[in-house]
Amino acid sequence: MKERNLSLGGILLLLVVLIYAGVLLLAPVAALVSNTFKDGFEPFWKAITDPEALNTLWLSMRLAVLASIFNALLGVMVAWVLVRHNFFGKGLLNALVDLPLVISPVIVGYVMIVLFGRTGWLKDFPIKLAFSWEGMLVLTVFVSLPFVIREIQPVLAGMGKEQEEAAYTLGASPWGTFWRIVFPAIRHALTYGIVLTLARSLGEFGAVAVIGGGTQGSTESATIYIYRSLNDRNYAGAYSMALLLGVIAILILIIMNNLRVHKRGG
Amino acid sequence: MAQAVAHRDSVSQTNNPQMLFWGLRSSVIIYLSVMIIMPLFVIGVEGLREGIDAFWTSITRPVAWSAIWLSVWTAGVMAVINIIMGTTTAYVLVRYRFWGKNLLNSLIDLPFAIPTLVTGVMLTLLYGPQTSVGKFLNDEFGIKILYSNLGIILSLLFLGYPFVIRAVQPVMMKLDASQQEAAHTLGASQFTTFRRVILPALLPAMITGGLLSFARALGEFGSIVIVSGNIPMKTQTAAVYVYAQVEGDKMASASGVSLVILLIALITTLGVDFWYKRNKRVGKKL
Amino acid sequence: MRKWFIIVSLLLLAVSSVAQAQENEVKLTLAGFAVPREAYGKIIPLFQAYWLAETGQTVVFEESYLASGAQSRAVIGGFEADIVALSLEDHVTRIADAGLITTEWQNNDYNGMVSTSVAILLVRPDNPAGITNWSDVVGRGLAVITPNPATSGGAQWNAMAAYGAAYRGHVDGYSAGAEGALQFLTALYTDVLVMDADGRESFLTFERGIGDVAITYENEYYAGVNAGNGDLYEIVYPTSTILIENPIAVVDVYADKHGVREVADAFVAFTYTPEAQAIFAESGFRPPYQRVVTPSETEGEEDIVTLVPIIELDETRFPPIEDLFTIDDFGGWKEVVPTFFGDEGIFTKMITEIQG
Repeated sequence: MKERNLSLGGILLLLVVLIYAGVLLLAPVAALVSNTFKDGFEPFWKAITDPEALNTLWLSMRLAVLASIFNALLGVMVAWVLVRHNFFGKGLLNALVDLPLVISPVIVGYVMIVLFGRTGWLKDFPIKLAFSWEGMLVLTVFVSLPFVIREIQPVLAGMGKEQEEAAYTLGASPWGTFWRIVFPAIRHALTYGIVLTLARSLGEFGAVAVIGGGTQGSTESATIYIYRSLNDRNYAGAYSMALLLGVIAILILIIMNNLRVHKRGG
Repeated sequence: MAQAVAHRDSVSQTNNPQMLFWGLRSSVIIYLSVMIIMPLFVIGVEGLREGIDAFWTSITRPVAWSAIWLSVWTAGVMAVINIIMGTTTAYVLVRYRFWGKNLLNSLIDLPFAIPTLVTGVMLTLLYGPQTSVGKFLNDEFGIKILYSNLGIILSLLFLGYPFVIRAVQPVMMKLDASQQEAAHTLGASQFTTFRRVILPALLPAMITGGLLSFARALGEFGSIVIVSGNIPMKTQTAAVYVYAQVEGDKMASASGVSLVILLIALITTLGVDFWYKRNKRVGKKL
Repeated sequence: MRKWFIIVSLLLLAVSSVAQAQENEVKLTLAGFAVPREAYGKIIPLFQAYWLAETGQTVVFEESYLASGAQSRAVIGGFEADIVALSLEDHVTRIADAGLITTEWQNNDYNGMVSTSVAILLVRPDNPAGITNWSDVVGRGLAVITPNPATSGGAQWNAMAAYGAAYRGHVDGYSAGAEGALQFLTALYTDVLVMDADGRESFLTFERGIGDVAITYENEYYAGVNAGNGDLYEIVYPTSTILIENPIAVVDVYADKHGVREVADAFVAFTYTPEAQAIFAESGFRPPYQRVVTPSETEGEEDIVTLVPIIELDETRFPPIEDLFTIDDFGGWKEVVPTFFGDEGIFTKMITEIQG
């Protein structure tokens, strides 16, 4: 579809969209921003430079980055296999990829405890996954699992396998084919999938609260900190951290967007 | 890159990727089994631990059933509105050039970025009865957003907004301009062009996005627990009910209701997949 | 790229230097319910100073504050807390039933309870609805705010306070006994507008201006006053209400595993000292109450149990309640949880009927 200048109908449509997005997205955010800066900039600065708050943010970032790396690597593999291969149960497996979106995070946390808790089915598992940050990482990977896969799948399906097959016929290795043919095609979708994974991971609350135990200074993530601050009437702390998480996610998004534009241009 | 080339040379001698593919496929199946099937299995076992009768009672109890129904219908309403508004937004973003477009495009993903807990807080800050907006809506129109089903739908709309847009956008970008122009030249109005040419091409993406947002909405907890009144039989959704059951140490019943929700999501996804494939086949025959 | 590596390695360095354990240091993990966080935040430094002077050991605390039920489940599931401070006895009993508490944790003068409070009514400034007792709350179309007993163990106190007051004949218009009590409970929950997931959230909902009357706790009221929000509401003491008792216990199995039994026991004992209790009082909690049993004079009648606070109360802050009862009057939590809040419980059924 070609990009055009606004026509009269276009202006109307644009207005509808702007009002809708404004009421739905911007108004709540504006409410948050105005409450954060109600007493000026200083409380915000104090809240986000609080060592305790920074600690929780650091944990959240670490979890989000590790989960994104993991999901990027495995997501590409999963998407490729689900698009290119046929095997028994593929349809079901494909449908189940969305499970992490549907399932209540509280239940997932509970499942982890059933599996890895003190009396769990796999209680002798060598890594301590219940009430540790490793467990939080596993759950973060779980809740953000669909994003990379769902971004890449349509692109792979759209490009067809002819190019890949041609490359093999001409003697290219699978690895070479991947880097020369597949990767350039899915690069943008992958980038976007990673951004979504990062954002989703930063925001996870229910599951990590259940599996981490929320110990201050060790398994308290930024969202758990927000929850605790709200209940402690530390509104400056809660709103500032909420805003900070949002801003970080948006920044990642914008940087990635610009990267994409730049690469396309060059 | 040099590495990739060197690697290629060593492998290309065999030139048989079958083994590699087989290994890849196996690891993917193992990975998904561990991450997805295993939790599902645990929930199944926990839900049925006390027998099929107990499972049946746990999901047919009026409080449980009404919570499931509330989740399903609010998610459904959201998905429909979202499909319409999401597609419109995507259309505007792809079709027109305007100031601030990049910004709008970036902001669309805001709901992904903001913790749902914060979404709930933002909505109470905006629509609470003591705030100017909340007061105005209540006094002038008698609309209560918080602690009603309206609040649930609103927070779901917030969460679901990006799903349809992001599904439709890439398809729209690739839509063949010549087809549209041809339709135009043949005298079709803009609306007819949209209905006859654009819409059919977009429909799969619209439905995929809508379904994804529907599925996402079924599991939503963080924002709803703050925004809705959580009154059993009235404003308590399935996710909040499940939370209540877990809190009350009634794991079997929590797992049971979770299973039903998962099943609903799964059936919807598979159902639409099936319908879509059949339609495509019929379309080809014609 | 290099800049990032420097930043990351600096951060790692900072983290590892903090994590380096010092000698002569002992670590205690405390798992508490969310509300007394402020109080423990002040008691812990006192205890640390006390223990250092006493033994020369530095105690490092790891603290986690979540909903009481969640905390109980976490400890049972393998969250290795040495000490639990929860909102109701049942949550500690569950841990004991899981085999993690092996000693008689309630075997002290305080029945294992470290702080108490009472369920109260919270109204708007100047009491516009004119609420003076339980009976003024129902049937007038007022919007009632109280947490959901299903999601929050702590919220079960509120339901039992209302039920008990009516049961004991202190709610006008409702007959004493089970039937009248259930009628009152039904009328009350018909008027509930918001059932938040826990007690603090429910209080904050009322603080945000929602609802006409809240059923909440005395200590929450004082927490609100301490936070500077005392002008947003007023407290009304009903003539009859329940004594809310919060337990504290050492989780023996974990404490022994970490070799911190001695210091954990010392901390629990420390929470009963006048110094620690003064901090609890400042945060709005009453001290533990002892049950003083007076044998009945006539044969065959039940003994009379009076509740006596272990520290004299400042009556301007914690006025005596005309008819104060405990959960024991209804058989204790062991009985109340299944008969009231189980899937077929009295409360659960009532809620279904009201809304259905």
